[in-house]
Amino acid sequence: MEKNYYVCTGCGMLCDDIEVESEKNIINKVYTACRIGVAHMKDGKESAVFRVDNKPVDEATAISEAVAILKNAKNPLIFGLGTCSDETQELAIELARKTSANLDDTSSYCLGKVIEALLNNKFKACTLDDVRNKADVSIFWGSDPSDSHPRHLSKHSYFPRGTEKQRGWEEERTAIAIDVRKSHTAKICGNYFFQIPPGGDKEFIDALIAALAGKLPKTSYNFPPKRILELANILKGAKFGVIFVGLGLIYSLEDLEPLIQLMNALNEKSNFHLVPMVVHYNMRGFNENLFKETGYVNSVKFEDGTVKHGPEYSIVESLKAKTVDAALIIGSDPLSSLPRSISKNLLEIPTIVIDPCETLISKKAKVYISTAISGVESGGSATRMDGVKVDFKPVIETKRPSDEAVLKKIMEAL
Amino acid sequence: MDFTSFLKAPEINVKIVTYRDIFQDKAMIENRFGEEYRNLSAVIKLDPSDFKQLSVKKGDSVILKNSFGTVVVIAEESGYEPSHKGIAYMPSSPWSNMLVSDETGGTGVPRFKDISVTVASAKGQKVTELES
Repeated sequence: MEKNYYVCTGCGMLCDDIEVESEKNIINKVYTACRIGVAHMKDGKESAVFRVDNKPVDEATAISEAVAILKNAKNPLIFGLGTCSDETQELAIELARKTSANLDDTSSYCLGKVIEALLNNKFKACTLDDVRNKADVSIFWGSDPSDSHPRHLSKHSYFPRGTEKQRGWEEERTAIAIDVRKSHTAKICGNYFFQIPPGGDKEFIDALIAALAGKLPKTSYNFPPKRILELANILKGAKFGVIFVGLGLIYSLEDLEPLIQLMNALNEKSNFHLVPMVVHYNMRGFNENLFKETGYVNSVKFEDGTVKHGPEYSIVESLKAKTVDAALIIGSDPLSSLPRSISKNLLEIPTIVIDPCETLISKKAKVYISTAISGVESGGSATRMDGVKVDFKPVIETKRPSDEAVLKKIMEAL
Repeated sequence: MDFTSFLKAPEINVKIVTYRDIFQDKAMIENRFGEEYRNLSAVIKLDPSDFKQLSVKKGDSVILKNSFGTVVVIAEESGYEPSHKGIAYMPSSPWSNMLVSDETGGTGVPRFKDISVTVASAKGQKVTELES
């Protein structure tokens, strides 16, 4: 019997081997997915919600109110899109152009600069399929896939028997964790867990580069040099190594230069690649789509046919400086994910929220439109954390419109 | 008269590092306004020596304060070795974000994993509710 597999859009891994049992547009069982994936795929709801000022309205009223907000705004912010398909993201870019908006996504305060560096070929990249089939050394640096990407180790980076790694983790793979705490992933790494103090990553990188060059590695926090030399020896011997970069590392570095230097030092001795641990299923897609259009991955401002770029156009800085006078938020909840000391400024401007879920910001929105869950109730395409394109189809039907359909209506009405 | 009621509860300074938790993420997807998400989010994981200094026990309420906000959360043992006195851990959530500084140096990136707060016992106080 031919099996019908679906893609899980619960995280940036976009696992494409999911089976479900559904009846009357309700998913009863989800097979193969992780805890997050199962919750995500079962989160569908049939009926749509349209609200203006927290009162139920029909779709046309919600759209026309959203259009009025965007028309009246001198400098609207369009934000979110990490959990939207490529098709929705492309429409949002067009909408930002049309409304002379600030356009940004969560990558401006997480892994955006890593994706930008990858798109500018500053790091040697590989796919998760390469990892599964070839990798012998995986480093989880400031990342904890056991919690953020639960199937990462079993599907790609440690446990599977890849085409060139038939003997698996027992004999042919080494998993290393470098972190400030003993995460669940660090526990799996056993003796290959290197615990460093918060903010100690740059010094550890410098010490590791010294060790790779055969020098005595030193840190101000007296990390045992012998252990760093042991680590350097494992890395030098790697035939196909990968660093899975997480926020723990990126937030600890002022810029990417130390990481670039480490990758260069590793590639003088062996063969190392970098994969960003993207959480939102299509954040990388947003970065790539915007990069294609503008040459930038986030934090842009469209104005008179030109594109400006810089941190001042990021959601954080534009809210702090109060330079935006309205916000269209698609598939994201800044009141939940940003410091309240910054996100509170959103409450002073009219907001339009397009999201499958009720969130802190949807409850405060001037206009709220509940949309289909991308990948569960609507289809499209996306870019996996490693840059691979993935198409997906809806699993069930819903009366809720897709975010793509809502953006199209807003565009037409504008 | 209970004179201890006049004594100020011991207060300590800690640096909070935030992290992701799969059980908390799953609870958020199911209902971000629900009890399970709150129970898994509004927690701080402390070193045993910090528990001792604060005179609180596992499961007690503690109040976290800095110039950006104040939240009441539940104190839990981290279970981490070696000792991490003065460093505490919280899952990323609206509760931890109440305490994150707005100072970014113009970079657009808040210091989500580097939060300085004072901690004191808040025995009997309820965990801070999400505004809805």
